[in-house]
Amino acid sequence: METNAIETTSMPPLKEKPKGIKLFFVKLLQQRALVIMSVPFLIWLILFKYVPIWGWTIAFQDYKPALGFWDQKWIGFHHFEFLFGDDRFLRVLRNTLAMSAINLVFGFLTAIILALLLNEIRKVAFKRVVQTVSYLPHFISWVVAASIIQTTLSPDGIINELLVWFGFVNEGNEILFLGIPEYFWTIFGASSIWKDIGWNTIVYLAAMTTIDPAQYEAAEIDGANRLQKMTFITLPGIKSVVIVLLIMNIGYLLESGFEPQYLLGNGMNVDYSENIDIFVLKYGIAQSNFSLSIAAGMFKTVVSFILLFVANNVAKRMGESRLF
Amino acid sequence: MKKNKVLLLSLAAALMLSAVTACSGNNSNNTDKPTATNAATGDNGGSEPTKEKVTYTIYNGVAGSKDGNTNETTIGKMLEDQTGVNFKLEFLVGDLNTKIGTMIAANEYPDVLIPDAAMEEVMNAGAFIPLDELIEEHGPNIKRVYGNKLDQMRSADGKLYILPIAAQVGEFIPDPEAGAGFWIQRRVLEEAGYPVVKTLDQYIKLIEDYEAKHKDEKLTGLISLTHDWRFFATANPPMHLMGYPNDGNVMINGDTLEAKTYAGDEATKKWLKTLNDLNAKGLFDKASFVDNYDQYIAKLTSHNVLGFFDYKWQVDNALNVLKDAARKDPSLDKYRYFPLPITFDESITDAYIDAEGGVVTNRGIGITVSAKDPVRIIEYFDNLLKEENQILTSWGIKGETYEVNEEGRYYRTQEQIDKINEAFNEEFGFKYYSWNWPMYGANSTLSDGNAKGVAIQPEVFQMSLTEADKAILGKYGVQTYSQMFAKPVFRPWYPAWGFAKEQNSPEIMWETKKDELTKKYYPKMVLADPGKFESVWEDYMKEFGKLDTAGYEKWTTEKAKAKVEAVK
Amino acid sequence: MAASDVKLNKKYKIQTSIGDRIFDICNYTFMILLMIVTLYPFINVLAVSLNDAQDSLKGGIYLLPRVWSLDNYQYIFKEATIFHATLISILRTVIGTVLTVLCSAMVAFSISRQDFVLRKFVTVAFILTMYFNGGLIPTFLLMRDMNLVGSFWVYIWPGLIGVFNLIIIRSFIENLPESILESGKIDGAGDFRTFFSIVLPLTTPVLATVALFSGVSQWNSWFDVFLYNSSHIDLSTLQYELQKILQNSNTTAGTSGMDGMISGANGAQQNTVTPLSVRATMTIVASVPIIMVYPFLQKYFVKGMMVGGVKG
Repeated sequence: METNAIETTSMPPLKEKPKGIKLFFVKLLQQRALVIMSVPFLIWLILFKYVPIWGWTIAFQDYKPALGFWDQKWIGFHHFEFLFGDDRFLRVLRNTLAMSAINLVFGFLTAIILALLLNEIRKVAFKRVVQTVSYLPHFISWVVAASIIQTTLSPDGIINELLVWFGFVNEGNEILFLGIPEYFWTIFGASSIWKDIGWNTIVYLAAMTTIDPAQYEAAEIDGANRLQKMTFITLPGIKSVVIVLLIMNIGYLLESGFEPQYLLGNGMNVDYSENIDIFVLKYGIAQSNFSLSIAAGMFKTVVSFILLFVANNVAKRMGESRLF
Repeated sequence: MKKNKVLLLSLAAALMLSAVTACSGNNSNNTDKPTATNAATGDNGGSEPTKEKVTYTIYNGVAGSKDGNTNETTIGKMLEDQTGVNFKLEFLVGDLNTKIGTMIAANEYPDVLIPDAAMEEVMNAGAFIPLDELIEEHGPNIKRVYGNKLDQMRSADGKLYILPIAAQVGEFIPDPEAGAGFWIQRRVLEEAGYPVVKTLDQYIKLIEDYEAKHKDEKLTGLISLTHDWRFFATANPPMHLMGYPNDGNVMINGDTLEAKTYAGDEATKKWLKTLNDLNAKGLFDKASFVDNYDQYIAKLTSHNVLGFFDYKWQVDNALNVLKDAARKDPSLDKYRYFPLPITFDESITDAYIDAEGGVVTNRGIGITVSAKDPVRIIEYFDNLLKEENQILTSWGIKGETYEVNEEGRYYRTQEQIDKINEAFNEEFGFKYYSWNWPMYGANSTLSDGNAKGVAIQPEVFQMSLTEADKAILGKYGVQTYSQMFAKPVFRPWYPAWGFAKEQNSPEIMWETKKDELTKKYYPKMVLADPGKFESVWEDYMKEFGKLDTAGYEKWTTEKAKAKVEAVK
Repeated sequence: MAASDVKLNKKYKIQTSIGDRIFDICNYTFMILLMIVTLYPFINVLAVSLNDAQDSLKGGIYLLPRVWSLDNYQYIFKEATIFHATLISILRTVIGTVLTVLCSAMVAFSISRQDFVLRKFVTVAFILTMYFNGGLIPTFLLMRDMNLVGSFWVYIWPGLIGVFNLIIIRSFIENLPESILESGKIDGAGDFRTFFSIVLPLTTPVLATVALFSGVSQWNSWFDVFLYNSSHIDLSTLQYELQKILQNSNTTAGTSGMDGMISGANGAQQNTVTPLSVRATMTIVASVPIIMVYPFLQKYFVKGMMVGGVKG
């Protein structure tokens, strides 16, 4: 940021070099087109996104929707104490982090790999078909998807049938996949990838269109093979998008989703499936306790901000593109 | 750096500013509130029952039918002709607490609100107007139907804000169908020669014997429904096996009215041990604990499951599929299920059949502070409770949807039964008026001796039976399924699961935590190696012991006593 | 763009080595497997939707219906409200998408300009909003105070700019060769002209991506209808009407929880539809129209798009 400021000041050759606030307004006037393109939306942003933050006060109240702001009973950190004080909080936090890390790492990797592989397909028609088909599961709600997953993983489902057929499992000893807590994260990860891999590649494929084909041609003349072209041209070409997305998603590390865990979770795997959102649902939303969900939301926001700034700074240090 | 600071400061300032405006904005909402209330009450005075046509809104917190106007249905039109009132109905689609929360926060309500599970919230928000005077002046039928049961619904301030949905009128006619029970495949009974089965041990033995004789058929002895909120189908049996009706989490002693939970009771241990033994023998379907509801229903229709415990309304879909198949091909009748009154011991009288009780006190219908003309609404309700209109909403129109024989008994012809399908129900209005209005309970008796509920009427029930049904009922010397069970006993507190609980109260907390524990530990106990059952049970009890069960029982006892007291 | 593809293909073909061929075989095999796995759920849902509802309860429907029936579709399409709701869905999708793409692109352009004085402030102000929200009730009250409750615009205003989309567009603009933007400057083009005549055309692939993202989310959303417009039938959307139909089938099947427990005795008639079948059918009804949009947007993702812009 510093460097930018210096750069900009040195650029326009004005008669008298203005300084400080004055410079700021002079520049503002010069860039009025940019101002017109962004400031109205800034007002929109403040109105729609920042104004409702007054709702955070709810976390410190014994909130009753019927009462006005000044009539609420203030109870300090009670809801935070309830959240952090529960025996299960650490476990729930662990599950949240684990599942969202799985999503982050594998979701990213698989989508990028798929995008790279798709990029290598030369038959345009086939490529299009694969792309279209692979993003279909995104349009199936989790309720329906979970039901398909449950059927597939049931003792008489196709996975067990295959295992029996290959002789890995004896008939009658079929595996109760969703009943084994330790399997849950894997099932969750695989399901999420399956559902969204095609959808997630779209942005990378779009990014690849910005790569100048001349680069490939040049590489070919140098005798580069496909793997080399992939690693030295395609990947660097989408790197900035990947990094920006990565930073954004690191900020979401406490958001591991809600529906798949809720729908695939059961009493047997609850130790591994229950995440913060489900906990909040049970003790907050389901009991009309709006305060608890806001308290949990604030906690997530604080963690998000920390992660976001750390990730952004790491990217900055490494000289990569960054979020802000 | 300096510039950054300026930017940050201005950002902060913007935030502060927005927070302040938001607060004041919110504040001004509150000042609206009294005026809105005043307007509503102000209206009260000026409205003599003029009969000009009006439309009021009802928000139904139960996801039910599709939205629409009551006067678009045959029944609704007739009621509009009588009262001049039409209701625009809206049904919940998403999450109830969210929707109700926004209504309360905005202090904008429909004229009539059916808050369902969010009743306490709405009451606390002061959204309902007191009904006592209105009923006194305009509600002769309301008084007749509900009588002193209204006292069971009163709030702490002694006023009545909400009308219960259904009340028992006249003699209690039990449902001919079994509402709950241990179900068994008919072929099992047939092969055993239709024995009298009373105890859990007998029931299990029957299943074991049958399975042993049919090893090659890969049969499942018992499955159990555990999916999500339906877990109670696995948790409730101990209560029934002990001879108590479905009071939710407690068993209530009829004499002392003491409530006792059973989740940590010997009864539960015995039930889970039974399942554990079955599992060890390979007769219990392990997948019960991971299957969803659809998978459970599919298994019940697969012909391979010999028995299960459940409430009929949960398995109706499956039972209907089996019944339809058997209608087309009578040889498939053996795969249908037959309900049995199973208890732990022959000396225990079962209580599976829903008994006459009090009104359900945690559900109801109320008139909100936004209502434009409460008098006409209460008049509509009162008119609805006239016996002729109760017959209209339940039986329909004579000659069209029901007939009366020489003895004055109501029945439906086969033609009428066939005609009344889902589309007809919607168009005629049966669907809109089937529930969530002030009404007679289905088990009520009309003044001419007929049953209020169509399905309760013995004549209608008999018509629904197939030859095979009659044959198997004949083997046990009964005419209806419910006659297999003990006669229901009047329980004025019933049902205890319907006691209204404050959101976020210790009672709700207890229930939430107990549900979590049972969902987690029951599968462990059932699927444990039989040798380890005891130790898992001890683990469970250790956790269960941390809950304030005594407090929950005390609260329930007090509620039960108060409810009984109200109708004395 | 087609021309450049052909050109590339030719070059590849000349140099096809054994390694390349093995790679191709593996790649194609993988793609086919992927298609099987991702196509299956859709086929399965389609099969259930075309199967008799009562029969579907028995389970075991995988690829083909067992008892063919169009009753499930009839059950959905007999609702007259569906058609108007579809119109509203299309309107909100089109208007919402066009506006969000245009507005996000404008902001993205302004914050991609390194010398813009408000750059950092605007960027941070936007990004932070991704990670917090004031909660349901404050948001609801805001919408009410702005008179958006009961209005079509409640579908448009709150989502005017998606920050995620904004950032993606910004990355793309930043990735554009500096020379192109510079060339605009030398021509004496103002920022507006640079934006409309250079940046917008050159970022078509990402704009198509963003349009897809926001179009799909507009099309699929029903929570805002539930929250703000549930009693305004003329503003209902397809997804919301489908949710209603699903709920309706739930109760006719006598499975609505506690009330089923009490009202069951009222003699609910047996029904032809079940939630299971309705859910499958509504998945098809709701997703097919939006899926069809993809092939039209897809051509913008095809490689070589940029070249034309740069060279031409």
